[in-house]
Amino acid sequence: MLDSIKDKRLVFVTGKGGVGKSTCAAALGAALARRGKKTLVVETDAFSAMSELLGKSGKDGTRIKIADNLYAINLQSDECLVRSLTRFLPSERVVRSVTGNRVTEAFFKSAPSVNEFVLLDGILEFVEDNKQLYDHVIVDLPASGHAVTFLNVPDTLNQMMRGVGPFAKRAKVIAGWIHDSSRAAIVAVCLPEEMPVQETIELEDKLEEALGRGLELTMVNMVHPRPFPARFGTAFKEASESAGVNVDPTKEFSEESTATRRVLAGNVLAMSWYKRDRTYLDLLHSKLDAEIVELPMVYETEENDIVDRLANFINSDGQTTETLAS
Amino acid sequence: MANEDQIESILESARLIVCAGPGGVGKTTTSAALGLKGALHGRKVIVLTIDPAKRLANSLGLDELTNDPQQIDLSERIPDQDTDGELWAMMLDQQQTLDDLVARYAPDSGALARSKDNNIYKLLSSTLAGMQEYMALDKLHDLYTGGYYDLVVLDTPPTKNALDFLNTPSRARQFFDDRIMKWFIPSKNQKKGLFSKVFDAGGSVVNTLLGRIFGDSFVQDLVDFFETLSFLQEALRSRGDMIDFILRDPQTHFVVITSADQRRIKEALFFHDKLGQLDQEAAAFILNRVIPGFEADDLTSFDVEDLGDLGDVDVDKFESALSEHYEHLARLAKHNKDLVEKFGKEVGPERLRAIPLFGEDVHDITQLRRLGEYLG
Ligand SMILES: Nc1ncnc2c1ncn2[C@@H]1O[C@H](COP(=O)(O)OP(=O)(O)OP(=O)(O)O)[C@@H](O)[C@H]1O
Ligand SMILES: Nc1ncnc2c1ncn2[C@@H]1O[C@H](COP(=O)(O)OP(=O)(O)O)[C@@H](O)[C@H]1O
Ligand SMILES: [Mg+2]
Ligand SMILES: [Mg+2]
Repeated sequence: MLDSIKDKRLVFVTGKGGVGKSTCAAALGAALARRGKKTLVVETDAFSAMSELLGKSGKDGTRIKIADNLYAINLQSDECLVRSLTRFLPSERVVRSVTGNRVTEAFFKSAPSVNEFVLLDGILEFVEDNKQLYDHVIVDLPASGHAVTFLNVPDTLNQMMRGVGPFAKRAKVIAGWIHDSSRAAIVAVCLPEEMPVQETIELEDKLEEALGRGLELTMVNMVHPRPFPARFGTAFKEASESAGVNVDPTKEFSEESTATRRVLAGNVLAMSWYKRDRTYLDLLHSKLDAEIVELPMVYETEENDIVDRLANFINSDGQTTETLAS
Repeated sequence: MANEDQIESILESARLIVCAGPGGVGKTTTSAALGLKGALHGRKVIVLTIDPAKRLANSLGLDELTNDPQQIDLSERIPDQDTDGELWAMMLDQQQTLDDLVARYAPDSGALARSKDNNIYKLLSSTLAGMQEYMALDKLHDLYTGGYYDLVVLDTPPTKNALDFLNTPSRARQFFDDRIMKWFIPSKNQKKGLFSKVFDAGGSVVNTLLGRIFGDSFVQDLVDFFETLSFLQEALRSRGDMIDFILRDPQTHFVVITSADQRRIKEALFFHDKLGQLDQEAAAFILNRVIPGFEADDLTSFDVEDLGDLGDVDVDKFESALSEHYEHLARLAKHNKDLVEKFGKEVGPERLRAIPLFGEDVHDITQLRRLGEYLG
């Protein structure tokens, strides 16, 4: 598992809100680190999730060590702006005169793409840092907007600036990284549901169109297990139909019902989740060439445990049978 | 203010309901369900959706992105319900909305053509952070002030941060901020904006710096951009003020939607705090996709004997197979239930509605009605 990204220094993880992007980024990081690869997980979020996910917290903007070979950092665009400008302007004094000026400050805060650009610039610093050479820098991309727009920011800026000036030059270097699928991987996280799966299929096309490259890996998260063995299928169908819990199983939990009806209804729901997941997984397999990893729904309540189980699952090539809580 | 029928009473009297919350929790679905309920209360409702799932869009008659309201034929789709209400829906097309805005305020066709030709304008709508939020609010402005609809239900864009949404009007105004504008555009008695003057003269510190960082041609494009679109400044300011006013109106209600996940609940509460900036508070909190109330206790009285004749399956194995999975579900359900209770304590249980995670997507009117039952 993860053959598609094992030699990629830069790994972008993208996906709609709530699909488990941060969880999967953390699980990827943990799995790779346990394989002995020095790995940094970068978040760019006002609310950091890594302390819950990886079980250790630190100050925004500073790197923390989570475990052997595993590091994490949360980058904020404000700090990145100052850092980027510092590299392009002749002196700190000049940077302060620019960021401290009400006009230019307002300009930077609202100008198109500047936030995204300085974040990417900050991320690239880690990738290019030769003193702290990481095997993998995993980026949990912000969920807002579309991944393609975000990854296209360096190209867009370069175009707007017509290739002139240090910003444009830097943008070109960053775009070079993003375009190059031998060094950078793009990973989509989705749920096995209609909308996320359709969006992932569209994402592949849009990436090809905008960046001339596709996805390396798709992680389908929270895949529901089959609730009971197939050989009980007929008996179960008959029993739930004759009890009448198959039409609207959720109702059994909001109305007077019996324990037996509820257990049946629960299994009816679990069966429909399972079936829906299979439908959309099949669709994904038929439409995508990229590696597809199915991550199970984990019945744990601590996020740290979820990440741990997912990392084990990945590193055992999906062989861990105890993916359900014991 | 909050009471048992909070949502019902809002549906009867509100002029605007804003559905806010983190992305992917069901904002679009809930907006559609609220709109439908409103129409069944006899009101003329329009739901402004941002990114409906394809099947939901189809079932609402929004096959194409038109940026125009489409009426949903309720008598055909829900023949058992007689209502004078109307349900309309539309899907935001941000590029079209921006083009319309520019076309409406451009002083002459020359200015319009120049705007559309500008290098930066062309990239603006797809790259400017917050453009989608801004355009949603701009469209809201027109629907709200247009006078036809009794109630607008506003779905909000899938931003990471629901908060970005609240800052939208001020951010848009800031972009065309007076102080920035002064640099770029001419004032009445000057031929050129300060920036152009300085730029032409050369040698100013800011000019040299910006030119040095961004390249001179970009800076020139920016000057052109601001000069060309200067006619938007006043429009954006007054529309921004109006939007602010609409969002603060007592007949505007906020519904905060989130999912049963600790971090997303925290975000929702944070957002709610910030609603205070508009002197508003959430009329209701909706926890969507909650695992239904599976209870481990059910297993003690679960008995396959109750199920009648099961043919030739091994009854004991069948029973333990069904029990085993139910037990896992019960664990998650307990976790969800605790979250619902804790959240309820924080915001007041009467303001909280929990919607269960259904076995299928909510993609047609029947499903929307089913979901709506949990909103009552
Ligand atoms: N495989 C899994 N099994 C069980 N729960 C999971 C799994 N993956 C993610 N979750 C849970 O789903 C929730 C959302 O996950 P996460 O925060 O990683 O999503 P995200 O896409 O990063 O969301 P956001 O858009 O808020 O950044 C969390 O509560 C997480 O613990
Ligand atoms: N209670 C629910 N049970 C099952 N599926 C749901 C529920 N609420 C929403 N969905 C599904 O989840 C998906 C995302 O919902 P959507 O309303 O588009 O989210 P958002 O607008 O917040 O991004 C849709 O496919 C929708 O049908
Ligand atoms: Mg996240
Ligand atoms: Mg939506």
